[in-house]
Amino acid sequence: MDETVAEYIRRTVLKIPRDEIKMMLQKWGFLSEAQLQTLNFHQLKDNISQEVVQLCEENSADIKQAAVLDIIYNHIYQNKRMWSVYQMRKTGEELEYFDLTDFKKKFKRRLRSALKNVTITFKEYEDNAIWIRVAWGTPYRQPNQYKPSYVVYHSQTPYVFISASVLKSNLPLLCQALIVASNYHDIREMELRSHSLNSLKDIVFKRYSQNFQTYCPKPLQGKAVEPENVDLRIVNENRSEKERIHRLNQETFGDGPQPILQFAQYKLETMFKSSPEMDVLDKKEPFRCLVKFSSPHLLESLKSLAPAGMADAPLSPLLTCIPQKARNYFRIREKRGLLPESFLSP
Amino acid sequence: ESGDPQRTALLLRKAWTLYSVTPLYRFCRGRLRDYARLLSAFIAAERQKGLAVEVGVELDIRVTLSSLPELQGSEQDQPAVLVQLSSRSRASPKNSEDKILWSGCFCCVYGDDLSENMPEDFTCLPLFLANGAEGYMSVVGNWFQKTFDCIFRRLAISPFNLSWMVAMWAGCKVDKAASAVELVFSVPRLPQPLDISYAIHPEDARALWDTIQKTPGEITQEEVDVFMDCLYSHFHRHFKIRLSATKLVKVSTAIASAHCDGIVKMLHSQYLSGVLMLLTELAISQIQ
Repeated sequence: MDETVAEYIRRTVLKIPRDEIKMMLQKWGFLSEAQLQTLNFHQLKDNISQEVVQLCEENSADIKQAAVLDIIYNHIYQNKRMWSVYQMRKTGEELEYFDLTDFKKKFKRRLRSALKNVTITFKEYEDNAIWIRVAWGTPYRQPNQYKPSYVVYHSQTPYVFISASVLKSNLPLLCQALIVASNYHDIREMELRSHSLNSLKDIVFKRYSQNFQTYCPKPLQGKAVEPENVDLRIVNENRSEKERIHRLNQETFGDGPQPILQFAQYKLETMFKSSPEMDVLDKKEPFRCLVKFSSPHLLESLKSLAPAGMADAPLSPLLTCIPQKARNYFRIREKRGLLPESFLSP
Repeated sequence: ESGDPQRTALLLRKAWTLYSVTPLYRFCRGRLRDYARLLSAFIAAERQKGLAVEVGVELDIRVTLSSLPELQGSEQDQPAVLVQLSSRSRASPKNSEDKILWSGCFCCVYGDDLSENMPEDFTCLPLFLANGAEGYMSVVGNWFQKTFDCIFRRLAISPFNLSWMVAMWAGCKVDKAASAVELVFSVPRLPQPLDISYAIHPEDARALWDTIQKTPGEITQEEVDVFMDCLYSHFHRHFKIRLSATKLVKVSTAIASAHCDGIVKMLHSQYLSGVLMLLTELAISQIQ
């Protein structure tokens, strides 16, 4: 077995938390059950990984098999990576039959014709997700297995999720290979990024609970905003205001769990306006700002601002439109013309 | 106060943790070398006691104390005192450069409020800047406290003072391409914490400040309030969020950046003195 492959397998196993190693090796299926039985999982991880490498040596593992183990690890720990969303477009409306074998063949051929040294690995999952791992080399160097790109493609949709490696120069080639293989003619990057791959899917596949203006599933009155106070001397003075805020929040954010995003960024190029008595800046040029919101769970956080008294309800559409518009990067310019208080989000 | 740019340059572009220090009793500027020796022995003793500051290779720690006369504001100010801990690994060759492990600087820039009416035995150096491992700060701080009967306290910076800083610094003229004027707000007590970074193009921030400031060279509380209100209302117009209800935790400009935990970075030599003057004032109000 190649020593670079051995080292790669050793390092991959080292990344896995100790009590998950057995499960992942089983999922991998490269080592037999009998071989797995011989492993002692109660020793130092260093030693476990050495033993795994020994067994792989017995089975003459090559880089292709090692790459599959890496996909399995990254599929389970997908939230460690940052994912971007790309949308593909085709001219006709015909729903073509998707041939997986054909897709893989075309993808490999397109990449290999441009770059001799690449490692390409596929793995299909039950939810119709095709995971693709690409390790990039140069005409003179073997592929760098430690900085691969990952692509997740749901063949029934025009969306591709990419976690690129640091080598951004390979992105155009990757995109080209994708459209060639999937019979689309165009691909563009959406302004949408998150660590949570499932949330990105929720957003673009519209799987989160949307709110419909006309449909009201529960009666509005009598919905408890907070637990009943046992002490009757404590009265909630702003009860009706609290209920109004709660209702508006429901309408804008919906009832269900929010997709998980870590940030939203707004490039503001709008005019600065102040109340006339403030004798301040009155330029004819935009007041240029860059605003970035960050949170482990941004949408939940924004949803809680109005009830906490820190924001008006309803919250600005610039924030609430994130899932519907499927983007978390925005450039806001002043709307030309009549209404001074309105905004244009492109 | 330009002085020797080389020496004050060591203050630039480092993250300094701020402390206030009460006046030092019987601190004698002529005895800096002696103090360095004593501090060195103290550090060695602490390390032997097992209160080791840095685990690792055998290190010879060298202590130097020096005066920085470039860092003072008025005539009454005491010149700054620089404390440096450097090391040379016993393994490395004799002529290799010393590596600076930790730096600390006592200073006072326009600290007249404190130093006037101060009895002769006391030296006023109310502001202390520390850079390096916390362990060293602890040991050095202990020695100074024991030796000169003074007290070190971490100096936090309130949102009120951060607003002053950002308003003041946003108005400064900077020659080359300046970095953005950034305000960072934190909303910790939500079910999911939220951080908001609000960065304004430096020219636009300065233009705004210029229309607010009435007298060049003078800043009033009212002007700072108007500046902040303008920024808050521009933000509210877009997002319907009231930034004034959140906590301002950090401000950043081309001149300097400051964090509410009392950590600053000074970026521009021309305004170094001005920043230190402001920080001296904060230190003094914590002492008094």
